[in-house]
Amino acid sequence: MVFHASGTGLMPDIPSPAEMPGIDEVVTEEAAVQTPAGSELRVTALVREGDFVPRGKPVACLRHQPDICFVAPISGRVARIALDPGSKLSRIVLFREGDARAEHDIRQADTPSGMRRLMQTAGLWPWLRRRPFGGMPRHDERPAAIMVMAADTRPLASDPRRALEGREDDLARGMAALATLTDGPVFLLQSKGLDLVENARDQTRIRKVICGARHPQGAAGIRLHQLCPAGLDTPVWDIHAEDTAALGTLLRTGILPMARLVRIAGPALREARSVRTHFGADLRQLTHRLVAPGPHSVISGSALDGHTAQWLAPRHRQVTVLPRDTGPVQRHWLRAALTRSATGTPAIPTAALSRAFGDTLPVMPFIRALGAGDDETAMKLGVLSLLEEDVALADYILSADGALKAQLRGMLDRIQREFAA
Amino acid sequence: MRGMWDRETVAALLIAAHLPIAIFWAWFGDAQGAIRLLTAFLVIAIWHLVFMLIRAQPPSLAAITTALAIAILAPEDLGALRLALGVSFGVVMGELVFGGWGRNVVHPASVALSFLGFGFPAFAWPVFDDPVAWAAIAAGTIGIALGVMPPALILGAAIVAAGGAAAGLLATADLYAAGLVLILLVADPVTSPGTTLGRWLGGGLFAALVILFANGWTGAAPVQAGIAAALLTSLAAPLLDEAAIALWVAKRRRRHGRT
Repeated sequence: MVFHASGTGLMPDIPSPAEMPGIDEVVTEEAAVQTPAGSELRVTALVREGDFVPRGKPVACLRHQPDICFVAPISGRVARIALDPGSKLSRIVLFREGDARAEHDIRQADTPSGMRRLMQTAGLWPWLRRRPFGGMPRHDERPAAIMVMAADTRPLASDPRRALEGREDDLARGMAALATLTDGPVFLLQSKGLDLVENARDQTRIRKVICGARHPQGAAGIRLHQLCPAGLDTPVWDIHAEDTAALGTLLRTGILPMARLVRIAGPALREARSVRTHFGADLRQLTHRLVAPGPHSVISGSALDGHTAQWLAPRHRQVTVLPRDTGPVQRHWLRAALTRSATGTPAIPTAALSRAFGDTLPVMPFIRALGAGDDETAMKLGVLSLLEEDVALADYILSADGALKAQLRGMLDRIQREFAA
Repeated sequence: MRGMWDRETVAALLIAAHLPIAIFWAWFGDAQGAIRLLTAFLVIAIWHLVFMLIRAQPPSLAAITTALAIAILAPEDLGALRLALGVSFGVVMGELVFGGWGRNVVHPASVALSFLGFGFPAFAWPVFDDPVAWAAIAAGTIGIALGVMPPALILGAAIVAAGGAAAGLLATADLYAAGLVLILLVADPVTSPGTTLGRWLGGGLFAALVILFANGWTGAAPVQAGIAAALLTSLAAPLLDEAAIALWVAKRRRRHGRT
C-alpha cells in the first residue's frame, strides 16, 4: 500500500452562506461543563448549586483520579448539577455573573510532574485525547507521541491559523511544555504556508507535518496511523493547537484562556460567522440571530462527525446548522424492500472509498473486518489508531448512516474490555 | 447528510462504463444478441425478485451488468431454455446465496458462463469484431476515471498481456476476447482483489493464465479460455489480498515496531 500523501482525500460539499467578516467575542448567558465525548466519568462535584465560581475554577473532579479537574468556562453561578446514576457527570450548568477568574500557581510547572499537575488542576487535561479507545488520558499516562492539530480539514471547519494569529510564542511554549510529557516526538500538523513554530528549542523532538486541504488529511487518527500508530501499550495523544497555545498562555500568565475560535456555518443559516467563545457555550444563543426560518437542527461539530446538542461539546470548534426534514414520510412496501433491508447493503470498493481513508490502509479488508467483528485483523490494520471521527467521512460517502462509526465503537469497546481483563 | 457512493450508485456507474461495449456490440451484432440480453436480464430480474420477497435481500442494478456480460460472452444459438438454466445457476449460486451483489466472491456471469461452457460444449463461442473489442479500452478508461474499476488490475493485466503479445504468444483473437473479459468480468470491483498490490498481482495473474490457456489448452475458444482465467483469478483474489496485507503489515512493523 503506497503512502502517497499530498493529493489524496475528498472535499464533501456542504453548502453554507457567505461568512460575515470579523470575529465577535461571545460569552453566553448560560454554559455547561460536560465530560469529553465517549467517556462516562464518575466525578465528585466541588461546588454546590447556587455557589459563585470564577472562570477557570474547578467545579468537579474525577472520583478516582481527583487531580483531574473540570473547570468553569465562564464566571457565574452554579444553576444545576445533573449527575446520572453512579455519579456520572451529565452536566453542570452555570449562569453568567461577574467577570472573575481563577489564577494558578505557575511556579510548580518547572518540573515535569508539576507541569502535569498544573495542567490537571487548571482544567486543561480534558482537552487532551488519547488513542486507542478515545477519551482523556489517565493522570499518570506517558504517551508515545503527541500530535498538535493546527489543521482542520473537516467541511466548514474554522482555520486554526486564524485562531493562532499573534499567539505563535504561546504555541511554541505550549509545545515545549507538551514535550516534557512524552519521550517520543511531538508532531505539529499544519497546513501549507508559513511555519507556525519557527525556532523550536528541541528540533529533533518537535516535528512539523504538512497536510493538504482535502478531508482525511487533517484527521488526527489517519495521520497518526501513518506517523506513529497507537497501540495498547503505546498510547498517543492529540490536542488542538489553540489549546496548546492556551497552555502556553497559562504558563506565562497563570490564567488559562477559555476563548476559542468557533465557526458557525451550515445550509440552514442566513449568514455564517466566526465567534470567539468558550466550550460549553449555549448553541441556541450562538445561532439564534443567524438561522433561517424553518425547522433546523443545531449540531456541535461538523456535519460528518458532530451530534445535535444544546451545548458546545468539549474539543469542538465548529457548529453546523442543518435543515431538519419534516416532510410526511411516505412508506411503500416496495420502496422499503428496495432501500431498507435488515442487513445494510455492503460497501463496494471504489477510488472514493480509499480516498476517504487517505489511502493509508487497505480499506476493503478493514471494512470487512469491522463488519465481521474480526478484532485481530482490524488491530493488524490499525484500528487502534482510529476513532469515530476518522471513519465519519467513509460513513458519509457510503451513505451508511453511521454504521461504520457504530461498528468501530463496538469493536474498540470490545478490545478494551478484553485487554483490561 | 449523505454521500453518493452507495452500492446502487456504483452499479449505475459500472453500467455507464460498460456502455461503449454495449453500444458497439448491439450495433455490430444481430437480433440474436438482443434476445439473449433480454432473456438473461429477465431471468436475473426474476431471481432478484424471488430473493427480495423470500430473504429480504434488496435487488441491485448490477443485474444489468451481469446480463450484459452473459449476453456478450455466452455461446451462440443456445436457445432460451439452456441460457435460462445457465443464468439461473450463475446468479443464484454465484451471487444471491452469498447475500447479493457486494458480498459475492465470484462474478455471477463468470459462474454462468463457465456452467454453459462445461454443460453445453457443442455450441460455438462468439468471436468479436474489431470495434467491439476496441470499445473495451474506452470502457476501461471510463471505469477508471469514475473510480469504479481498479486501475492497478487493468494496468497489470495490460502489461503482462503486452509482454505476451510481443513474445508472439497471443493471437489477435485471444487479445480481443481477453480484453472484453477483463473489462466485463475481471475488473468488477467486488470480486477483484481489494488491495493495490493484490490488484497488480491479480491483473498479472489473469493475463498470465490467458497466455497459458491460449498456448496449452488445445481446442479451447479464446472466450472460453478468458472466462476460465477470469474465474480462477477471482478465486485467487483472497489469497493475493492476504499476501498483500501480510507484506503491508510486515513493512509497518519494521517501520513503527507495531501495527
